[in-house]
Amino acid sequence: MRQFWIFARKEWKEQLRGFKIIWVPLVFIFFGALEPLTYHFMPQILDSVGNLPEGAEFQLPDMTGTDVIMSLTGQYQMIGTLVLVLAFMATMSGERKSGTGTLLYVRPISYASYFSSKWFTAAILGIVSVWLGYGMSMTYIVQLYDVYPGAGELIKFLLSYGVWVLFVITLAVAASAVLPTGGAAGAALGVLFIGQIVDGMIGEYWTWTPWRLPEYSLLYLNAGPESGEFWGALAVTVLLIVLLAVIGTAMAGRNSSRAKV
Amino acid sequence: MQIEEMFAQVPWGLIWPILLIELILKIVAFVDLSKRRATNGPVILWVFIILLINTIGPILYFTVGRRNE
Amino acid sequence: MTVLEVSNLTKRFDGVAAVEDISFSLTEHTATALIGPNGSGKTTTMSMLAGLLRPTSGKVRFEGTGGDPRATIGFLPQYPSFFPWMTAIEYLEMAAGLSGMPQRDLRAECEKTLGFVGLASSVRKRIGGFSGGMKQRLGLAQAIIHGPSLLLLDEPVSALDPAGRREVMDMLKELGETTTILYSTHILNDAEEMTDQLLFLRKGKLIEHGALEDVRRKYGGNGFRIRFTDEGSALRFAEGCPWTAQREDSDVRIPAEAASMEAILQFAAGHAGGIRSIGKDTVRLEEIFLKVVGQP
Repeated sequence: MRQFWIFARKEWKEQLRGFKIIWVPLVFIFFGALEPLTYHFMPQILDSVGNLPEGAEFQLPDMTGTDVIMSLTGQYQMIGTLVLVLAFMATMSGERKSGTGTLLYVRPISYASYFSSKWFTAAILGIVSVWLGYGMSMTYIVQLYDVYPGAGELIKFLLSYGVWVLFVITLAVAASAVLPTGGAAGAALGVLFIGQIVDGMIGEYWTWTPWRLPEYSLLYLNAGPESGEFWGALAVTVLLIVLLAVIGTAMAGRNSSRAKV
Repeated sequence: MQIEEMFAQVPWGLIWPILLIELILKIVAFVDLSKRRATNGPVILWVFIILLINTIGPILYFTVGRRNE
Repeated sequence: MTVLEVSNLTKRFDGVAAVEDISFSLTEHTATALIGPNGSGKTTTMSMLAGLLRPTSGKVRFEGTGGDPRATIGFLPQYPSFFPWMTAIEYLEMAAGLSGMPQRDLRAECEKTLGFVGLASSVRKRIGGFSGGMKQRLGLAQAIIHGPSLLLLDEPVSALDPAGRREVMDMLKELGETTTILYSTHILNDAEEMTDQLLFLRKGKLIEHGALEDVRRKYGGNGFRIRFTDEGSALRFAEGCPWTAQREDSDVRIPAEAASMEAILQFAAGHAGGIRSIGKDTVRLEEIFLKVVGQP
């Protein structure tokens, strides 16, 4: 346990001094602010662009705060996933490549504490960043929109969506344990985006997967998801997270011989 | 519509946080760049990327631009 | 007492042997020099001993450690890499903690060790700004901080300037009184200075090993050497003397079995032209190295 905290402290300092602790939240906060603004001022924006023929009128759908949150979640599913994977793709592969890992691996360390400390610190930063993004969005939504989700629904949404974010981060960290940085990013993004595509096609029949989780989470903002399907998807996601952590730990140890000496 | 008119219509009270975030991202990226000895690709290229491409520029720099010696 | 026993150690990368069938042992509180040209398998051997690489076959046995052998080893790679955003003291505290040193007095202990390796004035500086020599010193600090019984040092002084080399060699000598040291080097003057045992590697094979004195004797280290002021005098002497003499530049070497000191002095008295000194010939390690490595 002591090793875990020593490693976690090191990761924390690294995030701090490498500015990761600034730019990752800022990216999510940025999109969180932009989304409600864009929809609210869409008529003016279109107007000022001014290319519309005289007399043409755009019938814009009436957006509620809940719609904005759904749209923002769509953004996070793309850009957010990309940012999280890119932020953590090198967490272990980078230490093998630069050789900084070598002097850790020759000490009597447990790879479980090595992996879990990275996973833990990445998860905290990633999940809090996403939550801050939604928080920023809500501060705009309550000012600009009449209808928006209540605090209870929102918290349920944030908690269950957080599990999806944890899945993304676990996949990125585990990929970094298994593969070199480039391959890790490719593999993690490939799995996540191909999963989203497959989910888009046959998601209705394939209800217990991590890729359903964001959609089920969004349902908390309205009527709430069908509970059987939600808990099934949640259980499978948690199971996959544990499995990835076990594989990541084993591969971190096995790949220690690939560290540059 | 006159430029001044458009400018006056912009809801600055709502937009300034976004501009601030943009500014912080750029500043932090430049601070990091100034302290770093090695980047992937020429430094001047990253100066332009960070300066000219909003939001994505600094993100690109932080994720793939930096290199540890 | 034997600290480490290596038997038939072999490492192949994709079928190509980097280290082949190496066996040796290290005795407590001795220094062993691992000598060989580039690509001879020094680093691969070190990596296996440090537990970074798994041997293809063969055994590495640490004496007296029931637990994780990594706890009793200190390892310094040739080019140690550190986290550039850390300070020296932060790094050393982390390393010490990971090796299981108790938190109590940890900082004082780390500061003392940084002082020992000559980094007292850089304790709180970022490693990113360190020179190669400073990194080497920090590397030594992290290798010794947890008081290991075995030190594995890969080219510990090759990145240093002559003054730094001198300093670090003195540190190693001091450490050698209480620690078993295995180090690789290609700077043979240093090896000559601090070694109880020599291991010569070539193309992954252990081609010669033994105590420094034994190896010296074997490669003709017990003859005589007569130095001359110029090559001409040396040549005249070598051709004129009744023994099988060997001329090397302005030196003449005579094997021990060919003549006695008295005989040489008698002959030299009559042919004194250009003689600077007459004495025992100690073969330098460099010559042994060239002979051993040059063998077919």
